[in-house]
Amino acid sequence: MARKVQSHYSRIRKYILTSMILVPFIPFVLILGIGYFYFTTSLSNSSIASMHRIVEDHRQMIESFLMERKSDLDLVLHSHSFEELSQTEKLNRVFNDLKRKSYAFADLGVFNDSGVHVAYHGPYRLAGKVYDEAPWFKEVLNRDYYISDVFLGYRRIPHFIIAIAREENGRKWVIRATIDTFMFNNLVRKVRIGKTGEAYILNKSGIFQTDRRSGGNLMDKDPDYAQYPQFHSDIKTFINADASGKNYLYATTWLKDKQWLLVVRQEQSDAFRALKTAVYLSVIVAAVGGITIVGVAFYLTGRIVERIKQSDLEKGRLQEQLIRAGRLAELGEMAAGFAHEINNPLQIMKSEQALIEAILTDLMERGHLHHSEDLSELEESIRQIAFQIKRCSEITQAILKFGRKTKPELQELELQHSIPEIIDMVRKKADVHGITINQKVSEAAPPILADPSQLQQVLLNLFNNAIDAIIKQHGSAGGQLVIEAKPKEDKNVEIRVKDNVCGVRPENLKKIFSPFFTTKPVGEGTGLGLSICYGIINSMGGNMEVESEQGVGTTFTIHLPAGA
Amino acid sequence: MEAMKMLLVDDEERFLSTTRKLLARKGYDILTASSGIEALETLKHKTVHVVILDVKMPGLDGLDTLRAIKSNHPLVAVIMLTGHGTVESAVEGLKSGAIDFLTKPTEIDDLIAKAEEAFAMRQRLEEKIRMAQTKKFMRSPREIIKKAKTP
Repeated sequence: MARKVQSHYSRIRKYILTSMILVPFIPFVLILGIGYFYFTTSLSNSSIASMHRIVEDHRQMIESFLMERKSDLDLVLHSHSFEELSQTEKLNRVFNDLKRKSYAFADLGVFNDSGVHVAYHGPYRLAGKVYDEAPWFKEVLNRDYYISDVFLGYRRIPHFIIAIAREENGRKWVIRATIDTFMFNNLVRKVRIGKTGEAYILNKSGIFQTDRRSGGNLMDKDPDYAQYPQFHSDIKTFINADASGKNYLYATTWLKDKQWLLVVRQEQSDAFRALKTAVYLSVIVAAVGGITIVGVAFYLTGRIVERIKQSDLEKGRLQEQLIRAGRLAELGEMAAGFAHEINNPLQIMKSEQALIEAILTDLMERGHLHHSEDLSELEESIRQIAFQIKRCSEITQAILKFGRKTKPELQELELQHSIPEIIDMVRKKADVHGITINQKVSEAAPPILADPSQLQQVLLNLFNNAIDAIIKQHGSAGGQLVIEAKPKEDKNVEIRVKDNVCGVRPENLKKIFSPFFTTKPVGEGTGLGLSICYGIINSMGGNMEVESEQGVGTTFTIHLPAGA
Repeated sequence: MEAMKMLLVDDEERFLSTTRKLLARKGYDILTASSGIEALETLKHKTVHVVILDVKMPGLDGLDTLRAIKSNHPLVAVIMLTGHGTVESAVEGLKSGAIDFLTKPTEIDDLIAKAEEAFAMRQRLEEKIRMAQTKKFMRSPREIIKKAKTP
């Protein structure tokens, strides 16, 4: 039974706990998940977008730089004749004009159609050298212009050349300028995104055309080049791991007629650092939120189950009381009817017994009977019949009293007066047997609503019971009877009658208010006293309980409603 | 002095016969009736001073019988005999004119004592009635003279 009840509560507990955790958890996780998803998506989008933008900007810058230099040379080529530029003086002037436009120009040379360096302005002595076999020269004759990859050349400085050809009077001639990549290099190197963001240019074969900040010297080969997507139009973004295993976010685009590849890259962890923070925050929020939800759920569930347990207990007790009261009322009614029926035959028996006695007396008076042992035995037997009839009638009287349903006449009663009065009725009996009566009637106890004579009956019954029990156990010394009355917080007044007798056995405690239950020897008690008391207190709107501790004492507690 | 005449009314025949025998031995002559109707019938024909009436009887019950007796024979003293050990039913009887009550099972001596008491009260009552009637007779000659004087 106890285990069943336990599992009942643990089932309730499980149910409440599950709903209290799940119900807030589902929206919580959903909100967190949705928030996380949109936040990270927008963050990574914005990271990628910013790289996109940088690549786009730089492509334009580089392309326009190249275009400008080319058009600078175009202008020179078309505004001067071969003869003019073949003169060193003129070439010097032209170069200085160019230099004013852009510091990137490092030198300028003029070639005839057989590749002879006709005139040169620059830091080296290159005039007169023949280039007809050089690939760049062949290319420029073919396509009219040529931009080389970066190379170190004689000067060990990174540079590239722009060469343009022009046909004049049926003969082609070429001007070639060397562009110092120092500026160019700087332009690309200047790109900084976050901690690790960088930009660099590779040629078609993956050779660095500019330095790479994170390592990768000019003219070296980029070891990861093979993994980049080849020849795409527009801007491509992707994630790739370099040789050391670090993940990078890349954005690449092709420049210069797909000769050069502009690469912008950033370590993924750096690019998505904000993302990482978002993840950490989400995890922390989820953990704290989850723990809070679970904690609160456990706390509340504990309290709810405790409440339920308590109210169930209360309900059980109330029900028990109701059942007991109902059973007592039923029993009372039945017993009263029964007693009433018994009284009629008792009356006849009594008459018969009286008649026998009268007849015997007559017979003796008339001398028909003589004193003998048999006669006295007969007389004794007749007396015994009379005694037993009397005993029966006492029982029926008690039962009738118990079953009687008199409405109590309630009136306000001051316990401070009435309890001492009732105690006085038993004081003599108590004194004789050396019982100390200890009364503690609180001055704070408000007047109660009760029927004075019925309350007196109840208390006298309890006092007498206690005194009888004390006498039986303690003889004529050491008995103690405590009577207390005090207000209770629920507008009730509590009266306690406490003795110091060894106590009532638990199995008897349950039956103590049942009619005809007695532990007294046959003939000494009807077992109705306490059930009458119980009925009386109930009918006055109160209740009565008993507690007993083995070897310590028994306490009867009465609760009665306080007056208005 | 007139001897007390009792009527015992109860639905238990054996109680009636035993009690009659018992009372006869104690020198009382009693009548018995086993129902309310029979009791009322007896009262019509016989002189009875004290009626001992059981409250609970089939047919006409004790209280109804009591009311009938009191309206037909107001001078008859009625003692209620109740099976309930309590006052409630007795109070009802007393309110309706019973002079006293006994609870079952009752001692024969108690019964006799209460009956005697009731009988004595009745005797006193009858005495008073007799006295009152005598006064009326004593006053009447003067009234006759008074009447004669007036024309």
